[in-house]
Amino acid sequence: MGFGLVALAMLAILAALIAAVPQDEDGFEWTGQLIEGGWMAWTFPVALFFWTIACLLLVFTFLAIRFPETPRRGLLGIETTRGDRLFIALLGSAFINLAWLGLAGMSQWGALIVCLIFAAAVFRWV
Amino acid sequence: MDKPVNQRAWFLVLPVFLLVAFSAILPLMTVVNYAFNDTFGSNAFFWVGLEWFEEVLTSERVHEALLRQLLFSAIILAIEIPLGIAVALTLPKRGIGASVCLVILALPLLIPWNVVGTIWQVFARVDIGLLGAFLSQIGVDFNIGQDSIDAWVVLIVMDVWHWTSLVTLLAYAGLQAIPEAYYQAGRIDQASRWAVFRYIELPKMKGVLLIAILLRFMDSFVIYTEPFVVTGGGPGSATTFLSIDLVKMAIGQFDLGPAAAFSIMYFFVILLICWVFYTVMTNLDRQDLPE
Repeated sequence: MGFGLVALAMLAILAALIAAVPQDEDGFEWTGQLIEGGWMAWTFPVALFFWTIACLLLVFTFLAIRFPETPRRGLLGIETTRGDRLFIALLGSAFINLAWLGLAGMSQWGALIVCLIFAAAVFRWV
Repeated sequence: MDKPVNQRAWFLVLPVFLLVAFSAILPLMTVVNYAFNDTFGSNAFFWVGLEWFEEVLTSERVHEALLRQLLFSAIILAIEIPLGIAVALTLPKRGIGASVCLVILALPLLIPWNVVGTIWQVFARVDIGLLGAFLSQIGVDFNIGQDSIDAWVVLIVMDVWHWTSLVTLLAYAGLQAIPEAYYQAGRIDQASRWAVFRYIELPKMKGVLLIAILLRFMDSFVIYTEPFVVTGGGPGSATTFLSIDLVKMAIGQFDLGPAAAFSIMYFFVILLICWVFYTVMTNLDRQDLPE
């Protein structure tokens, strides 16, 4: 029940964000300013990023409550829980993205694929 | 550890989370926004994508600041850790002497950063400073405003003066925790002083030394106030470390975009060190528990 409400609230936030995206004749202007003249310079991609992080945290909170777990010792030799592995995956992804940007010289979406592989490996073996 | 862990108590953290949201998470979001936008002023922003990140990643200036930063951290670690251990080994183990030594050692740690900076800035001045005036009296060409080596020496000596005590206190605590029986066993085996240090004291101090190294690395990696007060990042940019460069970029030149991208990357590095620190600490605690 409570989880359903939270999920609905997150969906409502996403809808509100999309509704705030400025539009011109060609449709949505995805990288336009959400608040024209605002000092925080909110744009939809950044908002979506933080929304995704918030969703991930909520999903993992839900998992921790519904399916309690024991920490396990993996490849790194340290005890990790699901949350630890999420943190390692996210922080590692940040560095993968920076390395990709600095070294690869290709579309940044390539880094996303590497990050997904990395995250899967972290959740499987760390 | 066979029981499943119940994480529900985390909900008690919710009030703090709300406070942190206003003091840290919202400002962080602003920084991320600035890192992807450019402005010509009066709050008119437009999206530039990853341009600022590319600019900072390929910037000579940032690379040089990073190199200086790593060099500074490496030098102070190389001096403070052995020196701190050496001082801890010579301290009296008990009695009034031990208390007096500990209090004196703790004094530099209690002085605020900007005061430490001011003390050393004045101390190194050629006209009125004790050190600077003395050196120029005996004919040494010493000027932290013009010579980058002099500036570096003063900064490193200042950091050593300020923070070696921390390493000493940690190492001393580690030494005090070694039971006398270990030393007795060493004496029975006629172990040399070096062997006692190498095979009894050093292994027993491993945990606290790891904490000392991480703490000192972290602190020196984000150092701002002291070099800012003593040299202002000069002469030229000889002592411009990462945080000084960042502040110059953000507030001096008001280049919000590159500065935001820069601080996000800086934040990732610090987050990584924090995570290592946290992992090491929690794993040390576990090792101490009986199996």
